[in-house]
Parts: sequence; C-alpha cells; structure tokens
Amino acid sequence: MAEKILQGENKVKRHGFSVLFVHWTVAISTFLLILSGFGQMPMYKRYHIADLPGMSWSADYSVTIVIHYIAAVALIFAVAYHIVYHVLRKEYDALPRKGDLKASYQIIKAMITKGQEPPSDKYLAEQRLAYAFIGVNLLLIIITGIIKVLKNLPTVDYSPTFLVWVNNLHTLASMLLVFGIVGHLAAFLFKENRALLPGMFTGKIDLEYVKHRHSLWYSKLAKQESSKGSRSNLTSGHACPENCHAGGRNQ
Amino acid sequence: MSGLSRREFLKRSLATGIAGGAVLYGGNKTAGASTKSLTGPVGTLIDLTKCNGCAGEKVAKCVSSCRQTNKDKYPSPVPSEQIPYYWPNKKKEDWQDKKEVTTRLTPYNWIFVQKVKVEHEGKQVEVAIPRRCMHCDNPPCANLCPFGAQAKTAEGVTLINKDLCLGGAKCRDVCPWGIPARQAGVGLYMKIAPEYLGAGVMYKCDLCYDRIKTGGQPACVEACPNGAISFGSKAEMKKLAQQRAKEIGGFIYGDKENGGTSTFYVSQVPFEKIHEKLKENKSKQPNPTAPGYPLMPVKVGNFLDTANGMVLSMLVAPVAGAALAGFTAYKKMKGDE
Repeated sequence: MAEKILQGENKVKRHGFSVLFVHWTVAISTFLLILSGFGQMPMYKRYHIADLPGMSWSADYSVTIVIHYIAAVALIFAVAYHIVYHVLRKEYDALPRKGDLKASYQIIKAMITKGQEPPSDKYLAEQRLAYAFIGVNLLLIIITGIIKVLKNLPTVDYSPTFLVWVNNLHTLASMLLVFGIVGHLAAFLFKENRALLPGMFTGKIDLEYVKHRHSLWYSKLAKQESSKGSRSNLTSGHACPENCHAGGRNQ
Repeated sequence: MSGLSRREFLKRSLATGIAGGAVLYGGNKTAGASTKSLTGPVGTLIDLTKCNGCAGEKVAKCVSSCRQTNKDKYPSPVPSEQIPYYWPNKKKEDWQDKKEVTTRLTPYNWIFVQKVKVEHEGKQVEVAIPRRCMHCDNPPCANLCPFGAQAKTAEGVTLINKDLCLGGAKCRDVCPWGIPARQAGVGLYMKIAPEYLGAGVMYKCDLCYDRIKTGGQPACVEACPNGAISFGSKAEMKKLAQQRAKEIGGFIYGDKENGGTSTFYVSQVPFEKIHEKLKENKSKQPNPTAPGYPLMPVKVGNFLDTANGMVLSMLVAPVAGAALAGFTAYKKMKGDE
C-alpha cells in the first residue's frame, strides 16, 4: 500500500507514484486543453493575445487543434488509468460521503474564524466534493470531446441537433472546470491547507499535521501499522498458512 | 420566411434523420439529367464551357435570381450607427449599406461570377466561374464551429443556423475558399454583450435548401440561360462531370478538393491556370487579403486532415491507460502481500 507512517522521517506517505503521475498528467494536459480550447474559439486574435511576444501561434486554429488533440490523448490516458487503478485496488477515499457539504462548511468556517474543525479522514470533506465536481466535469468533457473528434472524421455525420447539445455541453463543462480549478488553487490561500502541497510533489506530508488535522486517517494508518507489525511477527515465527496471501483488499 | 429559424433548422434535421432522403426528395427532378427522384446527397455540376457570365447582362442571371430568391433570408441588422466595434478593435463588418455589391461574396450576395483570361493551347480563353459555397463532404466550417451553429444535412447541404451563430468567422478561416461572409449587428450576440463578445452572423449559399426540400431546384440552376448549372443526385452529377470532362478533354474541380465536395466544375482549361490568374487578379485589388474572392487551389487539403490522422491514438489512449493501470495495480497488490 502506498500510504504509511514514515516514523524516521516524521512524515506520512500520502500518495504513491500512480497518484502523482495521474495528478500531474491531468493538470498539465488540462492546462494545455484550456489554452488550446480557448484558441479554438475565435478569441486570441480579436483580443490581441496573439500579438503578445511568442504567442502568434495561438491564433492559428491548425496549431491549437493539434495541441488540443495531443493533450486530449494524455488526459484520456490518465483518466482511464486513474479509474481502473483505483477500482482494482478498491480505493474510494476521494469520493464524496454523506455529510460532506456540512463538514466542508464547518472546515472552511473554522479556517476563517480560526476555530475548531471536525476531524478529517485522508481527504478533507471539501476535497472530496471538489474531486467529484472536477471529475464529473472532466468525464463530461471527455465524452463530448470524443464525439466531437469522431464527427470531424469524413465518414461520420451526426444530426445538427445532437451536435448543438454536444458542442455546448463541452463548452459549458469546460467553463465549470475552469471554475473548479480556480477553486482548487484558491484552497491554498488558506495557510492551513498548505501542508498538503508537498504531498503532490514528493508524495509525503508532515506527520504532526496528519495527527492534528487528519486524525481519522491517522488512526487508520496507526492501526494498519500495528496489524502489519503483528502479522510480520506472526509470519517471521511461523510458516504462512495456506491462503494467507489471498486476504485483504483483493477479496 | 426570414431565413431558416433555429426551430425550423432543428425540426428539419430531425425530420431528415427520421424520414430519410427518399421521402423528402420524392418526385424531385434534375436539370440536365434524368428525372428519377433523389434519395441521397445532392450535387451540382457547373460546366464552365457553357457559362459566359451572362455576357451583355449587368448582373449574371444566377446572381440576380439568387438575390431575388434569398432576399428574405438576408440579414436585418440594427442601423449601422448602433453597431458597436469589435472591441478592442476599431472595426466591424457591416454590409447593410453595400447590399448592391454583386462582384464578390457578401452577407447579401451568396453567389458571384469571377472572370479570368487564361492562355491555353496557344489561345486566350475567357473563363467565367460562378462561385458560391461548395457544400463539402466533410465541411470543416461545420465541424469546427465551437457552438454547433453549422451542420451538414443528410442531403449534404451545409447550413448556418443564424439564431445560434455568434459571427466569430472561424468557419471562414478554415474554409479553403473563405466563403462565409459576416454581417455585424445581427444575431444572438446582440442579446448578450455586443460591446465585448460576438461579431454578427455568417451568411452563405444554402443551396436553396427550402426549395430543394420541396422538390425544387436551386435558383441559380433554374435561372441559367445556358444550362451551365445542373442539379441532381451527387453521384449522378459526378458521373456527368466525368463524362463531360472526358468529352472535352477537360478537367474537374471540386471532386478531390477539401476531401471532396458536392460541386463539380468542369473546364477545358486546367484549374491550376485559373487559380494562378485569380490569384494575380486578387493581388491587384485594393485590399488583396479581403475575403469574398475565393481562389481555386487544386487538390487543396481539408483543414482536419492532420487532426483526423491522430484519431487512432485518441481511441487507443483509454485502452492503454486501463491496461497499464491493471498491470501496475496487479504488481502493487502482489508486492503488498
């Protein structure tokens, strides 16, 4: 399992390579998709973005469409990887739970008033909501985007009505995604959230921060550590009984 | 009817999808071709050996009849002085005071005749070329409209939805001939934030869609006194074009261009020569970069050729992502045990 307490370092391993890979592939490809997507709307020429130094390419639809396609390949790859990886491992910590809306309000209120916030699991309640919001929009964008790609093929024709829906849903979901990303980044305006930042670069975050803010998660990690410890004691002293490898998450 | 309303546009597209071409084209007749009813995509053949640009007439018949037939579909913008510039630029494309222009494509003129003198086989040949939308097989204008305001119908006619178009003119930029023309001060953008967003509505030939839907022909076809323009099923028009080109030892334009179109020009003069001459004429104009004067680049590619070449990698991406995830997850779980 990727996540564990690293006592020696005084840190907690929060994310493995898969999560970092997916996060940054999605982030970079989405940035390129937004940039080139706006380029596919007739905007950069009119509003003189293309006149800025080094930006003349941005008004060329034939350049921005290729960037859009390449970035879409990377995004779809990462999203497919993400879904399959976590479903296989039955890791659903980032999905919203009942009461997240209320808990998010309490956490944000506590950050502003410097009050007491409810204990959190691996993810904060508002992180789970943000994940769902961004995820749903990304899925909408991908599905409508694939339809848009197919309709560009010489052999594919869809009805005009259908295309109006697909095109405008793609644009609407993209605007909502931009809103979601702004919200995601704005979270780091709060000092309290900044301890999570190293997690997305090194995979590790401060142990004391986890104990203090993600106490629910910490107890799970601690429990896992102790059970691991006792299991390793067991296996080092005795031969592994039949089927002992088949237990756990894989069931 | 003032243009094709959105409701009508949507209704028709649904109707075409459900009913199919056979019902819609039952009893339709072709000009200069057989009279069997049309059951699929339509096309036109423009025989340049028969067109003389209506020599002697002030305006060619195809042009005047198009203007007469389609005048109700022309834009009705707010008065010029009320049309804002395309902020932050000091410009706007407003043709309402130049409705009478018939020498180029404008929002009020969807077909015009280009004339060039070309040297061919030691002789000076005068070629008159009626120009309008080619109604492409895979129209980049319709495919790339960010709002879905353009679409190709089941008959292969590319239509602009004037109620949805914001006038960004991307369609004009990706069209190899720069056909659609923009009128400011009209359309959806006037109801949003006309000072800052949007620029008008794009207009172009709709192949007299309302006429052909009821079994008629495009106005330009009917009006041509020389029978230079024929209308019928696309397959038949293509066949006729090939026959005619063979007959005169001539050339076809529109079959291969932009990945294929439904307009087939036949000429005894190679189109490369016509294109060069058009280019030369255009360079002598006061504003050589102005749209509305299409050239005839031979075998011009489709704007989407490069992008379409990348589709396979896009379809492989989710499979590859899932496969790698399966492999990684399996390895990891093995390692955990």
